Amino acid sequence: MIDHLPVLLVVLPIVGATIPLVASLYTDRAGWTIALVTMVAHAALAGLLVREVWTGGVVSYAVGGFTIPYGIELVVDGLSLAVVALISAITLGVLAYARRAGPHENTFYSQLLLLVTGLTGMTVTGDVFNLYVFLEITGLAAYGLVASGREASAAVAALKYLIIGTVGASLYLLGVGYALAATGTLNMADMSAKLAAVGYDSTLVLTAFGLMVGGLSVKVALFPLHTWQPDAYANSPDSVSAFISALVSTVSAYALARLLFSVFTVDFLTSVPAARWALVAVASVSIVAGSALAVSQNSVQRMLAYSSVSQFGLVIAGFAVATPTAVAGATIHLVGHAVMKGGLFAASGIIERETGASTVGGYAGMGGRTPLAAGAFTILALGMVGVPPAIGFVGKWYILVGAVEAEMWPVVAVLLLSTLLTLAYFARLGERLYFAEPTIREEAAVADGGGEGVSTGMLAVVVVAAVLAVALTAAVPALEQLLNQTLPPLIQ
Amino acid sequence: MTDVASLRPLAAVLVSALAIPVILSLKSKPNVREGVTLTVAGAKLAIVASMVPGVLSGTTYTTELFDLGNGLAFELQADALGVLFGLLASLLWVVTSFYSIGYMRGLSEHAQTRYFASFAASVATAIGVAFGANLLTLFVFYELLTVSTYPLVTHDETDEARAAGRKYLTYTFGGGVAVLGGTLLVYFLTGTTAFTPGGIAALATADPTLAKAAFALLAAGFGVKAALMPAHSWLPDAMVAPTPVSGLLHAVAVVKSGVFGIARVVLDVFGTDLMAELGVALPLAAVAAFTLLASSVIALRQDNLKRRLAYSTISQLSYIVLGLALLEGNALIGGLLHIPAHAFMKLTLFFCAGAIHVETHTDDISDMAGIGRRMPLTMAAFGVAAAGMAGIPLVAGFVSKWYLVIGALEGGQAIFAAALLVSGVLNIAYFWPIVYQAYFETPEHHDEKPLVGAVFGGNEAMVADGGEGEHDEPEASGSGSPDLTRGEPADDRHDAAAEPAADADESAPDPAHVDHLGKRHEDEEHHGGPPEGGWERRSWLGGESTWFMLGPILTAATLSLALGIAPRLAVFLRVVETVVGGLPGVMG
Amino acid sequence: MTADLLQLDLLTTRYNYFAVMLLLGIGLYTLIESPNLVKKVIGMNIFQTGIFLFFITLAFRAGGNPPVVTEGGGPYASPLPHVLILTAIVVGVSLTAVALALIVRIYSEYGTLDENTLEELYYD
Repeated sequence: MIDHLPVLLVVLPIVGATIPLVASLYTDRAGWTIALVTMVAHAALAGLLVREVWTGGVVSYAVGGFTIPYGIELVVDGLSLAVVALISAITLGVLAYARRAGPHENTFYSQLLLLVTGLTGMTVTGDVFNLYVFLEITGLAAYGLVASGREASAAVAALKYLIIGTVGASLYLLGVGYALAATGTLNMADMSAKLAAVGYDSTLVLTAFGLMVGGLSVKVALFPLHTWQPDAYANSPDSVSAFISALVSTVSAYALARLLFSVFTVDFLTSVPAARWALVAVASVSIVAGSALAVSQNSVQRMLAYSSVSQFGLVIAGFAVATPTAVAGATIHLVGHAVMKGGLFAASGIIERETGASTVGGYAGMGGRTPLAAGAFTILALGMVGVPPAIGFVGKWYILVGAVEAEMWPVVAVLLLSTLLTLAYFARLGERLYFAEPTIREEAAVADGGGEGVSTGMLAVVVVAAVLAVALTAAVPALEQLLNQTLPPLIQ
Repeated sequence: MTDVASLRPLAAVLVSALAIPVILSLKSKPNVREGVTLTVAGAKLAIVASMVPGVLSGTTYTTELFDLGNGLAFELQADALGVLFGLLASLLWVVTSFYSIGYMRGLSEHAQTRYFASFAASVATAIGVAFGANLLTLFVFYELLTVSTYPLVTHDETDEARAAGRKYLTYTFGGGVAVLGGTLLVYFLTGTTAFTPGGIAALATADPTLAKAAFALLAAGFGVKAALMPAHSWLPDAMVAPTPVSGLLHAVAVVKSGVFGIARVVLDVFGTDLMAELGVALPLAAVAAFTLLASSVIALRQDNLKRRLAYSTISQLSYIVLGLALLEGNALIGGLLHIPAHAFMKLTLFFCAGAIHVETHTDDISDMAGIGRRMPLTMAAFGVAAAGMAGIPLVAGFVSKWYLVIGALEGGQAIFAAALLVSGVLNIAYFWPIVYQAYFETPEHHDEKPLVGAVFGGNEAMVADGGEGEHDEPEASGSGSPDLTRGEPADDRHDAAAEPAADADESAPDPAHVDHLGKRHEDEEHHGGPPEGGWERRSWLGGESTWFMLGPILTAATLSLALGIAPRLAVFLRVVETVVGGLPGVMG
Repeated sequence: MTADLLQLDLLTTRYNYFAVMLLLGIGLYTLIESPNLVKKVIGMNIFQTGIFLFFITLAFRAGGNPPVVTEGGGPYASPLPHVLILTAIVVGVSLTAVALALIVRIYSEYGTLDENTLEELYYD
């Protein structure tokens, strides 16, 4: 079984996804339990994989036993390992949250497991077309999950997400076509050698790069390709927005990094400086525009969505700087942001349930009414701003050090500015929570959403997220060591 | 210089950090909660004080927390400079805690649990700043200090308090970003951020432009908290916080952390030699000198006592920065000694202002004529501290100023010595009238205050017969001065439209010199000022206020005297001399 | 000379790629411009079809032979892109199915399929 770990990680959730559908012949409430069992098994497998890679280095697996590079290869190195572990952990957290909060139908959990399949597949694959397939699986499951909200606006948001997401994925596919035309292979490692042979200034290669990166940027929701995100996050159920915000863009950003470093490699970035600077420019604009848009939002969940746009700009900037320190920092921030953003959405869901507040104005004075959720929210927000010793600071620090090493001074300036920009939209929430008079009367709150209640599980999830936001800093040296084993071959 | 691994620096930081959840859980038992604060404060002082003898003999206590590799680490170290700030902060926290109890209970303030918990957090992070062993650790605690003090600034929860809090956050986080940028540059140039007495060696051989940029960023970043102009305006606005906060944090912990940061940068990152080589010390000294003169002038125009004290703080902080920027042995001693000296004196002054507020609800100097009858001990302490601010011998301020002026003259930079002396005169100008009018004037007969507050370029209010405008002869109107205060409940007291029509327009003093800081009750009524029939007389034996407030006031005043009379015995001068003596190449 | 200007030989031999561009363009234009949701989905499909055509076109290998023929084999198309396109077609079909399901729901909830009307209703 150890030999087949990578493929088992992907197969398990697929099989798990079919079971609730079968079970719905008997009962409509079995979904949660099945999902839990599957994810616990998934976490166990992920744990085994962590041990494998930690001790044995990169794990490679040929699907169906077909020789690489003719078959599909699954590769797990330090970078993908971090993301796999993240997927397992966050899904378990979302399950704990969804027990009370989320939709309870079997189909919901089916889609959830399908999404986990897509995400895990995207993470472990070593083949560019396979990446497309899992990207689409992820997308389909995500569209379905977004649409599972009860209001009609959820369907509209899901449709918008679908159309824009499909265009993005199709652009990626077109890019794969160009790459295939240039090299004749789909395996990432093989392709990187062949791309170098073709020459990085070839039109085919440049077009492939542009299309693939552009397509993935839609999924990562960089400015100006982010327009699907605020609607999708704001109109989906709380568990879904926590899940999607934490994982979907994260894994897409990981895919972008994998593309940059394993397929095109840093040599490409250095020999085509226009590509690097274009990426850096898009990322920087994202950072600034995302924050600017976030400040002007009234709805807290939309604000958090625009915050994601900004934070992913930070991550992509780190990847684009492409020094080992910067990439390590970008990975750390990727993981940290997933935990923090997921926690923030979960906390905002709890606050809405307990007090009915969902706008910035409505948050006034809620620090007293929902102390745990508000406290967790504040700690997570401070982590996002980058107050040390939260993990948000550590990632930023490493990216900054990398940028200074690479002497990309405009990037340094924008990154430093990003702290203040993030502060701009989070500070007023913190201030409102604790230092303002409540604007929502208590009776009104109970009438609106208080009836659904908040379970201990939900509160536990946000508290754990807040604790992790600070505690993960302790895990950074381990992560760094893992990355140091993996990255140098990637980043020469 | 021996390094000893010890847990005491960490313990000093943690003892109050761990108390935070305890305090938060004691909302329903205020006495126990206050007891926890006092115990923890005492423990913190004991821990820091226990390190002093070792530090004086050259030992440095270090606690390594976290090694991030590549020359970065989270490390705490208690060396002479760190102990200087640490001892100051922990000692004054004990004093302030007693005062807080008196103040908060005297005003029946809300959210006291949050207040005391935030205080514990603030002092923990301040000690963290003091004991940071490198720029990165210092930066971490610097940011945490901002976060922990924010709830204290916005404590009142009025619009004014929230606006002040926002301004505070913007300025201090902006400063933090600059510090981060500077730290990065230093790390990039040298591969380390650790504090090394005499400066990090690799910095001397690095690219001068980048080194200067790093210094500019670090000085600007720390200078925000040190209230160097033009980044000073958060401080007067932050006076909206409760007085113990204004006292301990905005006269002692927060602002001194900014100055402390500059001290670390000048002495332990760049070193005096490199500073002189790069030529960055002179601009810093110029900014400091400008700040100290300009804010003294602005202080003259303030009517609200706390705001006047705030501008005085801005001015006095620049004394310290000036001393550091002069790079001269004696100037360094003077600057560093002024850290505790100013702290003691300013804390006394703020505590007096707070006691006056609690007992009489008076905030403005123009209402404080004759208040010496009502609060004799308080005003006596005020007088002592004010004298020290001006540099009168026997009080702490004199010693530090002496070293500063000598250092400026020795270094051949007489212009700075002149600036210091002029500032001394200005200090007298804005403190002496307060003390004088408290004892030697009455509400009925007093000059218009502030002395230079009225319209520039001629005004009818400054007339030889005792002034018109709001201080109209009460005898003439047949009733006491209460007309001016209680008589117009909804009015700003300087709305002189109620005065006799003859001088209505011209003598309406422009509101520019009145700085009311909105307290909650400001909107309804102007409370300040003497009651009917003038101030009542209280004895000199403590009948004027509770001992919770009087005790700390007198303690702080005594400390100022102690530091002024026997600075070596009061340990701080010895610590400072150890700091300067430990710097290679600086004449001690 | 006119032939060069019109790139005639390019047109006559590489007309597939022009068709690809045409399809991509039409698809994208319909997707963006048409206010009717169903037409948007149609546009999306046309866009994807363009991509399929692209892949199939690049499958042809000049001078290639099927593995079993030793010499003189006709035009040879590598089966790999064909397989990729089969997968992509399946993906496209499922996407269309989900999109149409969402449209059915939107229609039943809002009563309209016009994008502009929806926007007004949506932001109410």
